[in-house]
Amino acid sequence: MNDEPVLLAFCCHYCAYAAADMAGSMRLNYSSNVRVLRLPCTGKVEVNFILAAFERGVDGVMVAGCLEGGCHFQVGNLRARRRVERAKEILAEIGLEPERLEMFNLSSAEGPRFAEIVVEMNNRLVRLGPSPLRLSADRMADGVNELELQADAAVKADVSAKGDSHDRG
Amino acid sequence: MIVADRKKIPEIREMIKDHKRVLLVGCGTCVTVCLAGGEREVGIIGSALRMSLKLAGREDVIVDECTIERQCEDAFIDLLAPRVEGYDAICSFGCGAGVQTLAERFPKIPVYPGLNTQFIGILESQGVWTEKCVGCGQCRLGEFVGICPITRCAKRIFNGPCGGSRDGKCEVDPDMDCAWQLIYERAKALGLLDKLERIASQQDWSMAQNTGSRKVVREDQRIAGLGPKS
Amino acid sequence: MAASLKTATVNIDGRVAEVEIGATVLEAARRMGLSIPTLCHYRGMPPHGACRVCMVETDTPRGPKLIASCSHPIEGDMVVRTDTPAVRESRQVVLELLLAEAPDSEELAEFAASLGVNSTSFEPSPQGKCILCGLCVRACNDLMKRGAIGMFGRGAIRKVQTAYGEPTDQCQACGACAFLCPTGAIDLKRITSRRITPHITDFDKGLSARPCIDLGHPQASPRAPVIDRENCVHFKTGECGLCSRVCGRGAINYDQTESRISVNVGAVVLTPGFEAFDAKQRGEFCFGFASNVVSNVQFERVLSASGPTAGHIRRPSDGRTPKRLAFIQCIGSRDTGCDNDYCSSVCCMAATKEAILAREHEPELEVTVFFLDLRAFGKDFDRYCDRAKNRLGVRYIRAFISRLYEMPGTRNLRLVHVSEDMKQTEEEFDMVVLSLGMEPGAGLREQAERMGVALNRWGFTQTTELNPLETSRPGVFVGGAFQEPKDIPDTVMQASAAAGKAMALLAPARGTQVRTKVYPPERDITDEPPRIGVFVCHCGSNIASVVDVKEVVEQTRKLPHVVFADHKTYTCADDSQDLMKEIIRNMRLNRIVVASCTPRTHEPIFRDTLRDAGLNPYLLEMANIRDQCSWVHAGDAEKATRKACDLVRMMVARAATLQPLREETVPVRNAALVVGGGLAGMTAALALADQGFPVHLVEKSGELGGTARSIYRTLDGQDVQAFLAETIQRVTGNPRITVHRETKVVKVAGHVGEFSSTLNTKGVSSEIEHGVVVVATGATEKKPAAYGYGSSDKVMTQLELSERLGGKTLSLPPNATVVMIQCVEQRDEARPYCSRVCCATAVKNALQLRESHPVARIMVLYRDMRTYGFREAAYKEAREKGVLFVRFDPESPPKVGVAASGVTVAAREPALKRELEVKADLLVLAAPIAPRAEREEISELLRVPLNADGFFLEAHMKLRPVDFASEGLFLCGAAHAPKFISETISQAIAVAGRAASILSRKEMPVSGQTAFVDSSKCISCMTCVHVCPYMAPMVGRDSKAEIQGAVCMGCGSCASECPARAISLRHYMETQVLAAMDGLLGTRPAAEPAMQFERVGVAPPRFRSAPDGVRKEPQRAGGEG
Repeated sequence: MNDEPVLLAFCCHYCAYAAADMAGSMRLNYSSNVRVLRLPCTGKVEVNFILAAFERGVDGVMVAGCLEGGCHFQVGNLRARRRVERAKEILAEIGLEPERLEMFNLSSAEGPRFAEIVVEMNNRLVRLGPSPLRLSADRMADGVNELELQADAAVKADVSAKGDSHDRG
Repeated sequence: MIVADRKKIPEIREMIKDHKRVLLVGCGTCVTVCLAGGEREVGIIGSALRMSLKLAGREDVIVDECTIERQCEDAFIDLLAPRVEGYDAICSFGCGAGVQTLAERFPKIPVYPGLNTQFIGILESQGVWTEKCVGCGQCRLGEFVGICPITRCAKRIFNGPCGGSRDGKCEVDPDMDCAWQLIYERAKALGLLDKLERIASQQDWSMAQNTGSRKVVREDQRIAGLGPKS
Repeated sequence: MAASLKTATVNIDGRVAEVEIGATVLEAARRMGLSIPTLCHYRGMPPHGACRVCMVETDTPRGPKLIASCSHPIEGDMVVRTDTPAVRESRQVVLELLLAEAPDSEELAEFAASLGVNSTSFEPSPQGKCILCGLCVRACNDLMKRGAIGMFGRGAIRKVQTAYGEPTDQCQACGACAFLCPTGAIDLKRITSRRITPHITDFDKGLSARPCIDLGHPQASPRAPVIDRENCVHFKTGECGLCSRVCGRGAINYDQTESRISVNVGAVVLTPGFEAFDAKQRGEFCFGFASNVVSNVQFERVLSASGPTAGHIRRPSDGRTPKRLAFIQCIGSRDTGCDNDYCSSVCCMAATKEAILAREHEPELEVTVFFLDLRAFGKDFDRYCDRAKNRLGVRYIRAFISRLYEMPGTRNLRLVHVSEDMKQTEEEFDMVVLSLGMEPGAGLREQAERMGVALNRWGFTQTTELNPLETSRPGVFVGGAFQEPKDIPDTVMQASAAAGKAMALLAPARGTQVRTKVYPPERDITDEPPRIGVFVCHCGSNIASVVDVKEVVEQTRKLPHVVFADHKTYTCADDSQDLMKEIIRNMRLNRIVVASCTPRTHEPIFRDTLRDAGLNPYLLEMANIRDQCSWVHAGDAEKATRKACDLVRMMVARAATLQPLREETVPVRNAALVVGGGLAGMTAALALADQGFPVHLVEKSGELGGTARSIYRTLDGQDVQAFLAETIQRVTGNPRITVHRETKVVKVAGHVGEFSSTLNTKGVSSEIEHGVVVVATGATEKKPAAYGYGSSDKVMTQLELSERLGGKTLSLPPNATVVMIQCVEQRDEARPYCSRVCCATAVKNALQLRESHPVARIMVLYRDMRTYGFREAAYKEAREKGVLFVRFDPESPPKVGVAASGVTVAAREPALKRELEVKADLLVLAAPIAPRAEREEISELLRVPLNADGFFLEAHMKLRPVDFASEGLFLCGAAHAPKFISETISQAIAVAGRAASILSRKEMPVSGQTAFVDSSKCISCMTCVHVCPYMAPMVGRDSKAEIQGAVCMGCGSCASECPARAISLRHYMETQVLAAMDGLLGTRPAAEPAMQFERVGVAPPRFRSAPDGVRKEPQRAGGEG
């Protein structure tokens, strides 16, 4: 079960998140591996956030905002689309499939569309296989232990860094 | 403002891949304004580089990033100095001047360019930058009613336009305005067409960049003991 | 109370809970969030223990024993296991037996398969779906008290049936047996002799069925389901009552009765809306019996993503996607046959929209619209129709369908119409949409009479062109389609205007009935490390039946900073919230995570709880483990639980980084600046002044009145000049209104609530302060260049004709020929919009001419007559009075020859395909209404956008027609788009209504969730200024960007683009977003980054701040590193 891809969804509060809620009230089934991170507007999705997510080992990122022309904040979704395109360009440069990242537009009434999108992204990620940047297979299941491991690793890294600087000195 | 744009990630990766710890240094002045080398961009490139290295099987290379106010100023580089400790390479996201200043300041550490420095220019509209000045050393914008034929005419003609000016566009690049058409229109609007009647004199190219780096010296500003290095 | 109940300690699969004596094992398990499969059990029904699928194992002194969990009561402490080899084996045998018993039941096969039993080793019976569990019989006998069905026979022939196996009227056709049957064995038709009718939904207009308890529609307010008393068995017979036993919250109350509420009010606004025309009145369209003929309202539901077909276009007869779709316009509109001789105004655009949506959804679909006149008169409507025609290939055919008939077999529909070349034509379609007109609701006539409100002859409210909001009874106002059929923006305008009118009436009473809630002082948590409390909600069984909430709590307790975690049946219940407040105080929690439903509905509730507990409301975070977890992953409890743990972990990590935010207030200056002294500006000024607000009315010319000065009469015969004179007098005589004539606004600084502007009156500058700006700069008639205008005094515009008619300065021979040409220099490539008023103006002027020149020949050359609403009646009157209306195609416009002798007009009539030539004594041109020249200046001044045609662009074309996107700026009148006087008046008063929501306050709250600049990092690159759609960032005196909190809407676009990362959006700072990601992925301790020094790219201290420390600074920094 840990082979399931991890899909992070940046959803805007007004449309995509509302659509996800609607999918819920319609009891539509979709892949359970999506994790929604709510933002006021997709205009808040920074290229840095997208890359940070991939760097942290997610298998795919979807950015879901309002329909074009229907953004609660006028043009936030249009700016987000440009940023997503730029992030895709960078992903292509580093050799990670740009299809792992996608921007979607949907209205708050499109619960079924939300479910569709998640399923579509999930199928895509299954086809692409796990991200080669994944840290370890079961970090999702056991995040707490992973935290400790990381902290441990960090301490070690710190020590070795200090060692290096002594050498240079 | 100096305008630059980013290098592709694989190119940067190839430059730094043989080092163990690399510090990406952004510059907070011109290149931040032109959205190429500020804190945000360095963050993006840093993140992308780490991933790229990992994908290339080089996850042992540590890439960190920081940004300083101005890479062409020693005082700011001094603030950077302690941060550089422990790194065996620097990748500068400043203009060419920034890269070289860092290289001079840190003689033992290789310094690589993260950007392609392009030109002196302006922001034409959000996301579009245009060259306005080539730094020829002898400014004659006064003669050409404020529009530089050296920078903006494809043929650097001083007595234009040439026969290739079509509907206000340049024959070399139909997307580019004909500088001489612009000069003519502006002169006409200003009532200064007679300025263009005269044959423009020769440019003194000895002031231009052609034989090594140029210098501007202000004797009154020089302070003993704090002169330029080297 | 709880103490008096005797409880026992029950351990099920290792989970332990105190359960009251007498509850069943199954109940206990479900409350713990454990699922045990059942077939014959239904919540709220007494247990029966028939199917034996729910067997579990318990310990007895004699060793483990299998019991039926659904009926086994808890008598004392006990240990239960739901998944042991013995349980599994028993379940397997039972299921195999049942599969043999009911080999035809798909439901049973699916159920068995989900428990790992895919086949039976017993000999299956030849047929059958029934497992004889008796649930249906119990429902019919015990619940409904009908006894229509029973168990008959013994042994192998035992079965469920009615007496004698015949359909019986003993059955009330309630369907409970079929609903409860776990194997799909009930065929209601074999039980009941009554007609079986599904309850159809009103919202889906009969396209889908609904249960007896229903929410009505997704946007229902209040969002509470209601019982359909007409169909509910409990209300009909007093039996059943199952819902009250199922609802864990005890929310079902059968005793609720209709109650009469008396309220004391000073004004009444009537907004009862409209009903669609009953298409059955027009039998020739087969509505009601040809199933593939649907109404436009039904088709709207078909197109809706949340509609009966989930947005897919399916025709009702067979569920197929149609290939050919037709819209028929004007059903029950413009129809004297059913007394609806008015135009419903919205159907042309509604059909166009539906056609576009249908084409976009089904690219193969061929769409045809049969129409009479394409009435795309609104702002940007023509562009929209052009898109349908040219880009999406929607076919528009000008023809009225005389009848249609359904083809037997295919159930396709053949449409009969007379084509443009006068031939009878038939065409076949798979599905037909009837564009039904608007009518006032059925009971409204009676209600209006009771209220003393006069109606017009069609049953809409009687109003006038110059007073479109007031009914015949003072203090009673009207808004929306009850006044006249209208589109959404016009409805919103008129409704806001009705509110404006009411507010003016109620101005003295403003604020007298306000109660303010008092909160305890906010605790300062600055120096406290995060102490997070996590509240996990069962939401009854909505969450807990899928997600193992106990597991979520267990996992959560291990997370950093979490000092409290627990679960509650309903976290949002009053007692739970009181408990939450107590826990916050006692445990000194300073960050709260609620894992429950969606923050879209419940964040305000829990934020309020936090405030009550003395915490800043922004210290709350919610994990949505219902709408986005338990509801959508019900099939996989394990994954759902894992996801819930992840979501909570993510939100806990984010919560640790949350900071208290202050909601600032800005003072409000209660004056308004109105730019433009025409009818719009004056009306807005008066409406604002009536509410008690000071107004600065700025007019660029020396005289008030604007374009209305050239209009003498309205279509309904009212005197515009007298009205204008009275309005001007009221404006100049109003002490609250300062009129600035010959004045221009040269500078507007500040933001909503706090503007200061500079006016220039004939070279003299003055400063004014105000809280809102109203743009009412109007528009002007653009004098045409075509058709010989200007070369002869026999050619004039409609406005000029109005003026001459009004001023009685028109000299025409009695038998003169007058030709009017419509759509002059508009609806073309250069000016692709409709000026909206010209058709009705032509009709008005023609009728007026007819009065003064009874024998004159009057001919109107038009493209589409756009006399929408009640103007249609005047169009009809004009035709009846002999005004000749001749259509022309834009491809072959009329040709005009102007000579000294007179004007000749030649036009080609497309239906006759013949040239008509007329010698005219007067040629009247419908010139376009064009935006004023100073629009650019004002657009720049206020930083508000213009549309492609140069009219000001509102915040939202449909929903916010009087607001600009930037707060505190409003628009009205023809500056927004061409419009009639009544519409101008409505919009102007609407502005006053909207503006009052700002001006009536002493101070305005500013959201805490705004962007801010770290000015030490700002490099003044202007990116934020370019990116922000609200003009919130500005570069201040020190050349650093600064975000005006009152203007910032909190979208974060600037923060996402700032190249120096100097801008952050409060509540969504980088650290807060990354913390959530780290929390989710477990990549790094969220609160304290392990490698702070390297990972976070910090710009070093500024040179400027430590001028002397330049050389020393590095050593210090180095020491830290």
